[in-house]
Amino acid sequence: MLTRRSFLKSSSLLALAPTVPVFITRTANAAGTEKDSNVLVVVQLDGGNDALNTLIPLKNETYANLRPRLKIADKDAIKLNDEFGLHPSFRQAETLIKAGHLLAIPGVGYPNPSRSHFDSMAIWQTARTDPEEFKGYGWLGRTLDTIGGDSYTISNDVPRTLRGRRSAAIAMTRLEDLTLADSGTVKNAAGPEAQQDLLAFVRRHAVDGSAAADKMAAMAKATDGGNYPGNALGERLKLIARLMKADLGTRVFYTTQSGYDTHATQQFTHSNLLAEFAGAVNAFFDDLKSAKLAERVTLLAFSEFGRTIKENGSLGTDHGTAGVTFLCGPKVKAGVAGTLPSLTDLEKGEPKMTTDFRRIYATILHDWLGVTADVLAGSYERLKLFA
Amino acid sequence: MKTLDPVWAPFTPEDTNPWDLRRVAHLHRRAGFAGTWGELQRDLQNGPEKSIDRLLAGKASLHAPPEFASTANVLGDAAVATNESGRIKAWWFYRMLFGPDPLGEKLTLMWHNHFATSNAKVQDLAFMRRQNETFRRLARAPFGELLNASVREPALLIYLDASANRKGHPNENLGRELMELFTLGVGNYSEDDVKEAARCLTGWTTEDGKFTEVPVKHDDGEKKVLTKKGTLAGSDLVKLLLENPATAKRLVWRLCDTFFGEKAVSVEAMKSLADGLIEKNLDIGWALGVMLRSKAFFAEANIGTRIKGPAEFIVGTARALEMFDPAPSTLALADWCGRMGQDLFEPPNVGGWTGGRAWIGARSMITRANFVAALVEGTNAGRSKAHDPSELARQHKLPTDANALITFHCRLLLGGDPTPNLIARLAKGMDRKMVALLLATPEFQLG
Repeated sequence: MLTRRSFLKSSSLLALAPTVPVFITRTANAAGTEKDSNVLVVVQLDGGNDALNTLIPLKNETYANLRPRLKIADKDAIKLNDEFGLHPSFRQAETLIKAGHLLAIPGVGYPNPSRSHFDSMAIWQTARTDPEEFKGYGWLGRTLDTIGGDSYTISNDVPRTLRGRRSAAIAMTRLEDLTLADSGTVKNAAGPEAQQDLLAFVRRHAVDGSAAADKMAAMAKATDGGNYPGNALGERLKLIARLMKADLGTRVFYTTQSGYDTHATQQFTHSNLLAEFAGAVNAFFDDLKSAKLAERVTLLAFSEFGRTIKENGSLGTDHGTAGVTFLCGPKVKAGVAGTLPSLTDLEKGEPKMTTDFRRIYATILHDWLGVTADVLAGSYERLKLFA
Repeated sequence: MKTLDPVWAPFTPEDTNPWDLRRVAHLHRRAGFAGTWGELQRDLQNGPEKSIDRLLAGKASLHAPPEFASTANVLGDAAVATNESGRIKAWWFYRMLFGPDPLGEKLTLMWHNHFATSNAKVQDLAFMRRQNETFRRLARAPFGELLNASVREPALLIYLDASANRKGHPNENLGRELMELFTLGVGNYSEDDVKEAARCLTGWTTEDGKFTEVPVKHDDGEKKVLTKKGTLAGSDLVKLLLENPATAKRLVWRLCDTFFGEKAVSVEAMKSLADGLIEKNLDIGWALGVMLRSKAFFAEANIGTRIKGPAEFIVGTARALEMFDPAPSTLALADWCGRMGQDLFEPPNVGGWTGGRAWIGARSMITRANFVAALVEGTNAGRSKAHDPSELARQHKLPTDANALITFHCRLLLGGDPTPNLIARLAKGMDRKMVALLLATPEFQLG
């Protein structure tokens, strides 16, 4: 296995010395202190997860009336406390729940919620509400600008969350995606620092790509310690676990699970999505535990919004507002944090959020990643999310 | 008609902005998928007017085989009959590589992004192909014709849950995207407008593979969308949105995003063209003519200031190197395109691909480098022979010594002579390795 020290000595880095990208020099400088640092894994649930059928309010007549056909019966829910139960698909996360490694936060949102997938996702990704800023940097990109280090996104595109001024985000879907057929090509083709902004941008990514390929080539193949379900999210989390085992010093990993935009006949779709999510996350932590890495990892799962609390006429739900956010890992304070928004005191027909998502970010930044910089453009009161 | 912003005045060659190889190559990269040496030389001789007219008329390619239309149909039919999504993607790559009308294919790609629809949900290749043909057929038409046809395409109706939207049970999906993505753009309507738009569209569905309106499912009550009140039906809603000035602005943005580089057109210039577009009944062909002939299009700020998208990158490279006989496997090209982040017929979401700088990342740079290596070697691109730079030079009666080959390929692929620094980089490879290096340079990723 490639250790940080051998990585520092690797000829690839030396060969790139005159044109070495900022993130690598910074990671190298910070080596040693970073090796045992905490890691954040983000799972973006695309499409707007139906919060009300994910974290179910128990013994709640209003809920039952809003969801005459879609409701989950109290007896089927996996009880977390007197007030809340999880969708039965979370049986797939039994180990995680029993170990006390799962925390659910209901009613998470922001003021004046947007019901556009793009705008709401952009708000979550940038932690900014002004559309002018959506094209700018993401909250984790800004974080990495501050603390250094790189990120891996297991998806085709790097989400704006990880866009930073200097930090480089690497996107991939499989190990082969970071293997160069001819390792000399990109290095030889890259050329000197460019004056033109766009050319400099492309060149920087060419150099990053070459460095990333060198890292992967050096990485020993690790065996997987979790019993991953054979689904897409399971494969992605497995790849993240491998990259972590390769000990590259990466602090942030990001991936997505799509399909939550359940406008019609949602029962089976939603149940399958949650089962895929729960099973994959459960296996991921099993794997990390056997590699003795779990203690360093917290997983955040969020969606751009919840769905309409009232079911629609086509056995589905439409775009809503506040949603449910999950934190998983050995260090989280298990159970439920925060309160369910009222299902009767509504704003434009939907509940008012009870926890601003930026308070969760602020807590993760401060309590987990140890970031004190003003990444969120404002100060948000932290929550008690870690044990 | 109001006077257009002066940047839209026709380009006329001058000493500082001559009609040179650089501008001819620029025209073909942007308004098509890169020119071959023969096309570039022809247009250099013919001058801007004739060259641009030929592109607009859909007759720019010198390499369309006489049996193109029938072959394309056979490939499309076979893709649908076998229900293999890879083959419908390959069908489109065949069209882009061999078709007589590169601009038309580029516009089809643009509309596929505008009305982004994914077969991952639609699960019907006949509908996906049909929608693609509609984009192609109406690519240059007044936008009203294209919009009216597109919102009635079965693929789009399935993708946006139209049939779930009915009287008393509105489903907002189609109404919202119709306003946010297809016409007005975000910020030009309220949440109430979305709800009311959904009511207008109740009853729209597909039956036997065709669009239909089911009267009993339609909510014929009073509605209010934007400022208009009445018992509005779906077609009234579409008409209302077409008349809204925000639609013209969004269309101009879309066209500039496709045909211009970063920051190459000012907000004022876009606004001026949008005003013109309104007076021309949203005629896309008109706007396209103005844009491609304009000073703005051939201005220094617009050359080499755009990142090539994966499909442009792949087809443009294969075309410029004249890989027609034998051609690479279009199945392989479609697969590479997906790996670079642009899986045709399967855009990531209803918003389509972000494009621009989002195309570039460490992984995509690795994939692009691996692709160009595969393409010049042939094997991993499904081509039965490797690229031979000397042979291409000989075909065009050009010298074949190492330095001459570098110069020729730089002129062909970048539109100009290499700098000493670039020559030094390319000299690290011989023959086709030199070409692979050139294709992997940061410079070649721009167009």
